[in-house]
Amino acid sequence: MKEGPRNRVSPKALNVWRIYGGIETLIALVVAGGIITLTVLFDWPAWISIVAGIAGVILAYIQIKVVPDVRWKRWRYEVREQEIELQRGIFIVKRTLVPMVRVQHVDTVQGPILKKYGLSTITISTAATVHEIPALDTEEADGLRDSISQLARVAEDDV
Amino acid sequence: MMSEYKRLHPISAIVNFMKQVKEMIIPIVVLLFVNGSGSGGGFWRYMPVISMVTVLVLVLGAGIIKWMRFTYRLEDGELRIEHGLFVKKKRYIPYDRIQSLNFSEGILHRPFGLVKVKVETAGSSSDKKSEAELTAILKEEAIQIEKTIFKEKERLSESPEAVVEEKPDRQEEIFKMSGKDLLMLGLTSGGVWVILSGVGAFLSQFDDFIPFEEIYEGASGYIRGGVLIIGILAFVGLFIAWLLSLVWTFVVYGDFRIRITDENIIINRGLLEKKQVTVPFKRVQGIRIIENPVRQLLGYCSVQIENAGGSALEKDSSSIKLFPIVRKREVENLLAEIFPDYSVETEFNRLPVRSIRKYMIRAAAVGVIPTVVVSIFLWPYGMWGLILVALLAFLGYRQHRSGGWKLSEGQLSLQYRTFSKSTVFLKKNRIQSLDRQETWFQSRMDLSTLRTTVKSGDAGYKSTLRDLEEKDMKQIEMWYSYEE
Repeated sequence: MKEGPRNRVSPKALNVWRIYGGIETLIALVVAGGIITLTVLFDWPAWISIVAGIAGVILAYIQIKVVPDVRWKRWRYEVREQEIELQRGIFIVKRTLVPMVRVQHVDTVQGPILKKYGLSTITISTAATVHEIPALDTEEADGLRDSISQLARVAEDDV
Repeated sequence: MMSEYKRLHPISAIVNFMKQVKEMIIPIVVLLFVNGSGSGGGFWRYMPVISMVTVLVLVLGAGIIKWMRFTYRLEDGELRIEHGLFVKKKRYIPYDRIQSLNFSEGILHRPFGLVKVKVETAGSSSDKKSEAELTAILKEEAIQIEKTIFKEKERLSESPEAVVEEKPDRQEEIFKMSGKDLLMLGLTSGGVWVILSGVGAFLSQFDDFIPFEEIYEGASGYIRGGVLIIGILAFVGLFIAWLLSLVWTFVVYGDFRIRITDENIIINRGLLEKKQVTVPFKRVQGIRIIENPVRQLLGYCSVQIENAGGSALEKDSSSIKLFPIVRKREVENLLAEIFPDYSVETEFNRLPVRSIRKYMIRAAAVGVIPTVVVSIFLWPYGMWGLILVALLAFLGYRQHRSGGWKLSEGQLSLQYRTFSKSTVFLKKNRIQSLDRQETWFQSRMDLSTLRTTVKSGDAGYKSTLRDLEEKDMKQIEMWYSYEE
């Protein structure tokens, strides 16, 4: 527990996060489109549509390119015998230690987009918190889930 | 062993009824006002009264049926409750799931020597359902049930060959609140504001019925810009609210006592409704001393314990007020007596000086934006907001001064302030997870933010200490890590 966690999430996560970002951007673009339409209809000054357009493009770039890239670079995890360590965050780097003795149960979750890319998300629950490792290869995720629940079973403690 | 089907005391039908009526009080009042002004004669005239009486009779009937269909019994190591008229519901709770039985006595209970029993279970998410309430049973019987359950529990947990000896329960009264304490609690708590907002909410309900505007208009003749009278009225209103909150404090916290036994902390309180809450020591997840600024000035504080057995139904069962108010200098001894395994720290490692500026900016920033916005629209009066900004910056400075941490054998102690100052004591094996956060600015200055989570009720209680030295943060991480 010196240098931080070693393992990265699957590179395919990049695609998934781009899709998520794309969906979010789409909503914003609809709003921007609405503003531009209104501008044309009501003869508002042209700069409004220009600003809306530029903001839309910048947002799209950030959501689809920058955020997934940074997120992927930041995301690290490591499952050791006694603890799980996670590192993540885009503007704020977060590092979390979860001792094995505190783990109550582990789940894998797979939505339609994750499934298409053969990925799964692991969620690790303690008595009071829930932690997530997103987008691991499904096989790897299943293996990890099993080994965490094995390791967690060894130690038992009151809450 | 008591295994026959048992009923609650009949008074519980009345209690159920009262509870229902209490929930319906606003609709009933509204109904009265709405229908009272209705015109028409004969039958229709009595319609509101008739409908109301019908509703009340139905509710009373429901209460009685509910009471008749409700049985409980102790059987096969389980507390078994069955109820329901059309849909029969059975709820069986094994003894070893039961964490504690909490007693309370309402006004209706006391003449008959009855108690309401709430069953607290281990509060993990899956068995949220196995909570139960016995609305009214005889006190002796409640105590009998408690004894049976806990004796059985003990027998189950011990190895079969071990002799179950009747050891006398250690019962020590540790703490008692004096009248002066109660007064201090009432004076320094936020109760005034709660009651004021309550009165406000209540009045707003009647907005349509009381002709406020007419009153204002009529009164304005007398007032004529009489700021004085409004001031006096406001003062009288505040004063009454304050008195009420004081009385309320006495009603809720009167006769406050703490006893400890080998396994439990037992808290009794209340003048009108007597409550007894039992907290098993092994469910205590952390201890928190809280000083709001007024109390801090007067040398008082309050102490809370985070309790794992918090149930979803009982609001205040996760964070339990151990000492609603107590002198700061007595806290150390009292806590040391109740929790010998905790070290009650008073000396803390402070935060680095270079993070003062960050604290002040962070706190002040909250006030800057509204001030700017208001100043744009209300130039120059909005600039008064700068006073707020300055105050916030001062709060930031105080927050920095309050921040501190200390590691001792198996325990992390933290001190931090949002508005009130908190001092928390956490055992390593009670901390569910530990976070370190660094923003870009922080990592440039080798600072990090520490966050710990302990179980408390459903959600968990988080403590956050900002801008520690990064190397101190590493030390805390090393301490927390289970790896060699």
